[in-house]
Amino acid sequence: MLFFAILTVLPFAWMISTSFKSPSEVFDFPISWIPANPVWEHHQKIWTGSASFVPYYLNSLKVSLISTIGATVLSALAAYGFTKVTFKGRDTLFVFYIAMMMIPPQVLFVPKFIIFKWLGIFNTHWALILPGMITIFGVFMMRQFFLSIPNEISESAYIDGAGHARIFLQMMLPLAKPALATLAVIDFSWHWNDFENALVFLISRELYTVPLGLQNFILEYNVDYNGMMAAASAGILPMLVVFFIAQKFIIQGLSGTAVKG
Amino acid sequence: MRKKQFWVGYAFIAPNLLGVLLFFVIPAAVSAVLMFTDWQFASPVFHFVGFDNIKRLLHDEQFYTSLANTALFLASVPVSIALAFLVAVVLNRSVYLKSLLRALYFLPYITNGVAVAFVWMLLFQPKLGPINGLLRSIGIENPPGWLTSPDSVMAAIDIIWIWFMLGYNMIIYLAALQEISPELLEAAKMDGARKRQVVFRIMLPLVSPTTFMLLVTGLIMSIKTFGIFEALTQGGPGSSSLILSLYVYKTAFRYYEIGYAAAISWALFAVILFITAIQWFGQKKWVHY
Amino acid sequence: MLKKKMAALLAAVMMGTALAGCSTGMGTTNGSANASGTPAASSANPDEKITLTMWGGVPAESGPQAVVDAWNAENPNVQVKYERFVNDDAGNLKLDTALATGQDADLFVSYSKTLLQRRVDAGFALDLSAYSDYDIDENIPGADEWKIDDKYYGMPTVKSNFFVWFNKELLDEAGLPLPEEWTWQEMKAYAEKLKGDKRYGLVQHTEPFPDPLDSVSMKFGYTKADGTSHMDHPLYGEWMETLKSMMDDGWTTVPYAEQVTSKMPVDTVFLSGEAAMLNAGTWIFRSSNNMKDNPRTFKIAFAPVPRLAEDPADYVTRGGTGDAISINANSKHKDAAWTFLKWYADGGMLPMVPGGRLPASKAVDADDTMKLLLGENADTYDQESLKRVLFNDDVKYSRSLPQQVMDLRQEEYENFFTGKKDVQTTLADIARRHNEFLKQNGS
Repeated sequence: MLFFAILTVLPFAWMISTSFKSPSEVFDFPISWIPANPVWEHHQKIWTGSASFVPYYLNSLKVSLISTIGATVLSALAAYGFTKVTFKGRDTLFVFYIAMMMIPPQVLFVPKFIIFKWLGIFNTHWALILPGMITIFGVFMMRQFFLSIPNEISESAYIDGAGHARIFLQMMLPLAKPALATLAVIDFSWHWNDFENALVFLISRELYTVPLGLQNFILEYNVDYNGMMAAASAGILPMLVVFFIAQKFIIQGLSGTAVKG
Repeated sequence: MRKKQFWVGYAFIAPNLLGVLLFFVIPAAVSAVLMFTDWQFASPVFHFVGFDNIKRLLHDEQFYTSLANTALFLASVPVSIALAFLVAVVLNRSVYLKSLLRALYFLPYITNGVAVAFVWMLLFQPKLGPINGLLRSIGIENPPGWLTSPDSVMAAIDIIWIWFMLGYNMIIYLAALQEISPELLEAAKMDGARKRQVVFRIMLPLVSPTTFMLLVTGLIMSIKTFGIFEALTQGGPGSSSLILSLYVYKTAFRYYEIGYAAAISWALFAVILFITAIQWFGQKKWVHY
Repeated sequence: MLKKKMAALLAAVMMGTALAGCSTGMGTTNGSANASGTPAASSANPDEKITLTMWGGVPAESGPQAVVDAWNAENPNVQVKYERFVNDDAGNLKLDTALATGQDADLFVSYSKTLLQRRVDAGFALDLSAYSDYDIDENIPGADEWKIDDKYYGMPTVKSNFFVWFNKELLDEAGLPLPEEWTWQEMKAYAEKLKGDKRYGLVQHTEPFPDPLDSVSMKFGYTKADGTSHMDHPLYGEWMETLKSMMDDGWTTVPYAEQVTSKMPVDTVFLSGEAAMLNAGTWIFRSSNNMKDNPRTFKIAFAPVPRLAEDPADYVTRGGTGDAISINANSKHKDAAWTFLKWYADGGMLPMVPGGRLPASKAVDADDTMKLLLGENADTYDQESLKRVLFNDDVKYSRSLPQQVMDLRQEEYENFFTGKKDVQTTLADIARRHNEFLKQNGS
């Protein structure tokens, strides 16, 4: 257990350690985990001066937070529709959803372009946020969780006169806290690390997100690993914060309340 | 009543459905048309070429190579899920430092991809790397060349992918395990069930909807991924780690052959559809809702 | 009939919407056709302040920023903004996207003829022959390799050179003379003598790595008279076998797969004394002049890239002109962009020199270039041998192989270097796949 845990930390440790190294130390082998003369300049450059990463972090935070909240809410809504409301064509529609998830994203880029231009959101943050709110994976995941909540609970409430809106808000959402938190964590990390969409849909530098900013460190014939890792290390913080907040919900959410069994 | 339910159902799904239509269905329809053209990205002209792209695909040895490599790559998915289940079961109980351990397992999922590629490349270094050092110390004289050899490159990437997906699968399992009532497990223990029986006879079936979802989405996500291949090998040495999604990416954005890339994509789609269909129909046998 | 209608409709949707952002509009299908022979409206009014955007692949701090700063100080009414893209697949895609959607990009740099050709096909690049006040053929020797349909859609601005870098100290220690022309067999013998304990005899940058093959094909043709592939030339095999035998002991040269998967920074390896010879080009000067990050005590000497052919007459070395700058056919400020471009080529680009980009224009003095290139570290280079590789009249070729062919060739020699295929099979496979490519692309 501990062995695997160490293995998971290595890249993270390398990232931090490299951000304090000088360029010539990057390729030292075996790896020197603690740099002989730690340098702060890479971190300084990230926060101050003309090449500051602050605008990128802010853009990424904006895009990732709005997308994640939207994606979580819309997924939960749709998943409820797919599980707790009975209507004609429901399961066929869901199978269709799954099929849509399978389309390789690379070929969707070009058509998406046209749609974004048409919507007038090309080269704005909305080009990341609006599609970011739609995650078929999220619907699928929430559906599986709702499925494991016995239908009797919602049905008896329905018969008691509660509307679907109330059942969803007052019964299902609280029950689904762990699933919602899990989805939020995963979704947030996707948005935070999304490179391809940002690459083609954002042109103006002032809109750039962190993954695009990291491209600045790719020089002509080599890579500034020190600077890149300094920027990436700081970029991990928001994801860790989200993770630890979410973990509270994941663990505390349902333990103790017997739903299944 | 029934009619009302119909509209209520759609009302719940509508916001999402609208997005799916805009950002998935319509683009997919356009790309399906592109498959029958020779359009090159950004060019103002293109022609309909009928089934030429599909014919070309059927005779394209790179396509078959990447298909085979994709299959080798997908083998990592069930392994990662199985491991993740075991890890989640352990971390679900009161283990020393469990909160920290959980975060650690999730780290790969959020660590910068370049750092991930770099460290694994050092670990797998054939001459001086620690992995081969370990293998030599236990008496294996000719350890694999890992990423540098056509024979072992897919195995190396599988290992990295298992490692990468572990944390993600684990936290979803953790959320699922929360739903199992402790009373049920207590009752099983009272009945004299051994630990192993509790895990495999009770917990495993109870989380089967999650397992099913992880399997379906894990395969779909893995089959679509190509970033890790780009960072590590670019499909090499030779074409020994060229997978379908990387081939699509290269064809579309390196060679700008959008028409042909669309054809490969739809072949890729057919593969995923086939795999998912098998799972979908197979789920009745082992998934308990 | 229906098909045709569909095609027309689709074309309208794709291009109409994709290009709707272009202010000049796309009246013609070929954007380059409406090249401005007439002065653009904007530059007619000298008081109006305009901003040009230039897209290039060089990081701003490695020269371009200094270039545009100098221009902006002198031209308050025509300000230039530099936008950097990474010159890889993703970065070029980004530039093409920006061009296709009519974003601000008045000038842009293409780093290979393949990329320029695509941009010309898409109608992004202005035909520069519309301007008669600057003779590109006359001012930029060797520019004509960038002509497309006998026209310039981009002005090449740099002169590229490829050569071998020597650690002079190690060379002297081994008592070896600096070669002025040599073969791969001789280079192999040098590398074997120069390698040491944990020191490579030769390392090569991956960019010029396959150059010897292109040299062969430039001389003997990529295709035979009958139109089939000639990329199975025996000298291809000779190159592969020579290199493989050098890789075998792990130190005469670095094993190929090891170099690629470890992302070996060959400039650092050479400059830290861990390799005696480096096959690369002028861009290494940025690293070799940076004594802070790459401190060194030894002098550097230079030699031409060795040849595979026995007969020196059968050999052409890589070089020529590069960094072709185009004016966006849909730019609102074409004339202003043209004025900037001329200034850039004729010396405005000098701040790019320390980064290894030597101006191609005759207007720039070679001695000035040399001084800028070496900076305060001039003593640490053997200048006589450097002049020999930089300033000579040898016939040079520049590589313009389609990306697909470059890639298939690379995949096949990787198979050979990693021991998956023998020479004969590898050569046969290169030729076979090349033939397939030729058939696919209708030639």
